[in-house]
Order: sequence, then structure tokens, then C-alpha cells
Amino acid sequence: MPVSFSDCVRVAPDVLFRLVSDEGVLVNLNTEMYLGLNPVGARMWSVLSEASSIQAAYEQLLREYEVDPSELRRDLEEFIAQLHAHQLIETRPDAG
Amino acid sequence: MPMDNGSCHRYCVYGIEIASDSPLALPQYSHDTLGHLECLQTPAPIFQQAIDTIVFESRSDSWYRHAVVRDGSTYVAWDLIGEFLVAADGRRIVCRRAAGCSAESFQVYMLGQAISFALVQQRFEPLHATVVVVNDQAVAFLGGHAFGKSTLAACFLEAGYRLLTDDLLNLQESRDGIRAYPGPPRIKLFPGIARRFLGAIADGVEMNPDTNKLILPIDEHRSCSRPVPLKAIYSIAAPHDASRRHDLTIEILSPRRAFMALVSGAFNRTLTGRQRLTRQFGMMARVTDLVPVKTLVYPRALDRIEEVRDTVLDDLRRDVGIARSSPDIALAMLG
Repeated sequence: MPVSFSDCVRVAPDVLFRLVSDEGVLVNLNTEMYLGLNPVGARMWSVLSEASSIQAAYEQLLREYEVDPSELRRDLEEFIAQLHAHQLIETRPDAG
Repeated sequence: MPMDNGSCHRYCVYGIEIASDSPLALPQYSHDTLGHLECLQTPAPIFQQAIDTIVFESRSDSWYRHAVVRDGSTYVAWDLIGEFLVAADGRRIVCRRAAGCSAESFQVYMLGQAISFALVQQRFEPLHATVVVVNDQAVAFLGGHAFGKSTLAACFLEAGYRLLTDDLLNLQESRDGIRAYPGPPRIKLFPGIARRFLGAIADGVEMNPDTNKLILPIDEHRSCSRPVPLKAIYSIAAPHDASRRHDLTIEILSPRRAFMALVSGAFNRTLTGRQRLTRQFGMMARVTDLVPVKTLVYPRALDRIEEVRDTVLDDLRRDVGIARSSPDIALAMLG
């Protein structure tokens, strides 16, 4: 599912997230699937779920990591696609 | 169906007070318990009434049957063993022993699979683990059926360590961390393993007609009947994965992989639902926070089992930190 970086990300209803040390664990109560995120994934999740848009999350992460911008963009797109595939997030246009 | 106190036997297992209308091979009741459960023997017509209209979730050719009854109770049965009806609140099990089934065998199923439904309904999250006590702390071996948990525990018993529980581990968070609770004082072993590590097996009873595994009582000198703090959890690699290995390795799991191992190691993977998953999520995250979880990979060769035991003991003496890359997602399902 293609996403626009102007969209914002919201955690899907019935999804629980918790940090365990610097990693993340999630459960989707509808699909009954558990997931684990490594430290980068956990940080991406936290920033995406709090940012006003994917673009804002991207800019925040770009400040935090020493990474090639195009590589970060690609990683973020792939990550969001995986989260969508597991019904963990919803994206919608930024309300502004 | 209130229990007649005149015929009530009171025990304690997994931290739960058990009031039973028939004698069980369990330690007597102590006052420091986490919950209460009644176990009542019931004649066959009661079960027939309860399951008259239900649809079984297990295959019709399976010797094991499971279903949820309309009032929320859980029905579980094993051919040649018996049947059990676990109340929706987990506070009562009514049961019937099949003709020809030994009391020991029946109790293995009642105090294993059947009681796991009661424990989950009472908001506990038992793990599929066998536990020994080393320096007054619990060391758990987590793994599925036939992973070698009991064999490894028997090797610890031979060296003078005590058994806390075989197969089902009940946990509770306390002020000093996570506490592990004692199970029935018995272990299930194949005769050759039992002879090697426990000596005489004359008091062993066959577990069921399809296996020559024996149920062996463990006396009070070789078992621990009080809860102890949980020091570490070793997640045993599946025999299939370990069979190609010649080396013996212990590796600490990162927090998310530890969490996944714990979820996969749930004793009862049948009950799901939102409340259970929410509770399990919280409990397993707490255990991940408080207890190191490690993988234990070793070749399945009996002549190396003492080496496995000694490696675990060495590992326990060391203070190992938790090892901590593009984002990565790992998956697990309960059911």
C-alpha cells in the first residue's frame, strides 16, 4: 500500500506496544499475532506514532541517526509497509 | 455442588490451594497461596449433559478432545485417561477417571493440561518448563514436548540439586522479582533415563498406554516445596535444530527475542481471547524485564548431558549482561 509522507500514522485499535529495554514488543489483539522490534524498529515505531506526519517522523529520525537520507526514506517506507501488512497501524491525511 | 468438608483433602501446588474430594499426591495445604481451586470427581452423565451440543475444536480422530461449553467452562478429555470440566472462572475442576487409568496417570493430566486452563482463567500465565533449584534460586528449562527438559532436570537431581516442578511452571511477580512455584513432587522420564539418574524405578507408573515414560515420585529431599526466586530461564533448542550440532552453546536473548521465547513457551496455547492476550503480553514483558532468558543448544547425546549441566552451572556463576541495526520485525503466534 503506497503511503504519502504527508500522511500521519496512528496505532491501530487493539494493538499493544511496550518497550523492553531498547527494543519493542507488540501484540495485535485481533489477529492474535505477537511481534518484536529491534532498537531501530522500536524507535521508528515510537517516533511514527507520535509525529504529526510521516515526513515529520522522517526528519526527526534523520536528526537522530547518522544515515543516508535516501536509505532512511527507503527503510521507513518498508517498515510502514510491514506494519500495514500486520494491521498494526492506520495512515490518514495529516489533519494539520 | 458445594464440597462436603468431611471428605475434603487440602493441598498446595503451583501456589494454589487445592480442595479435593479424593486424595492427591501433593504436599499439604499451606497458608501462603495465590488462589484456590476445587477438584471434584463426577460421574459420567454430568459430562454427557455438559457436552451434548458442543462442537469439538480438536480433530475427531484425536485421542485428545477440547471444547468450550456454553457457560464458558472448558471441557478437555483424553481417551483412556479421563475427562475434565474446568469452570469459566477457573475455580473448579470436575473430573472423571477412565476405567483402567491409574491414579498417578490421571493426576498427571489433571495437574498438568487440565489445571493449566484453570490457572489461565485465574489470570496466571504458566510456562512449559521444568525447573530445578540451584543455590535457593529457580533455574527453568523452557521447551516443548520431548525437548529434553525432564532429562536435563534429572541430571541435576543426580548431582544433588532439587526439583521445583516438572513441565508446568507457575510464576508470580513479587517484591524480590519473579517467584517460581513448586509443582507436584514427581518427574516423567523414560525408564533408561530414570535408571541412570535416579537409580531404582520400581515405584514408577506408566504415564499412558502410548508411551513407556514413567511417572516417578520425588521425595522431599530431592524436591522443593516452597516458592523460590527465578534466577534464569534457558530456552532449550528443538531436538531437530540441535541434532546437527556438536557444540554446546548458551546465548543470552535480546529482550524482544526473550519475550517471543516466553510467549512461545506458554503452557496453555489453547485459550486465547483479548483478555488473555492482554494479560499474557504484560506478564511476559515483566518477566523479560526481570529475568535473563537464554538459548541452550546442545547435541542430544546422553553421554554429554553432564557436560550440559556443568555448562549451565558455570553460566549461572557468571554475570552476563543482555546483548543489545535497519529495523527488524520478529513474529510469533500463541495458538
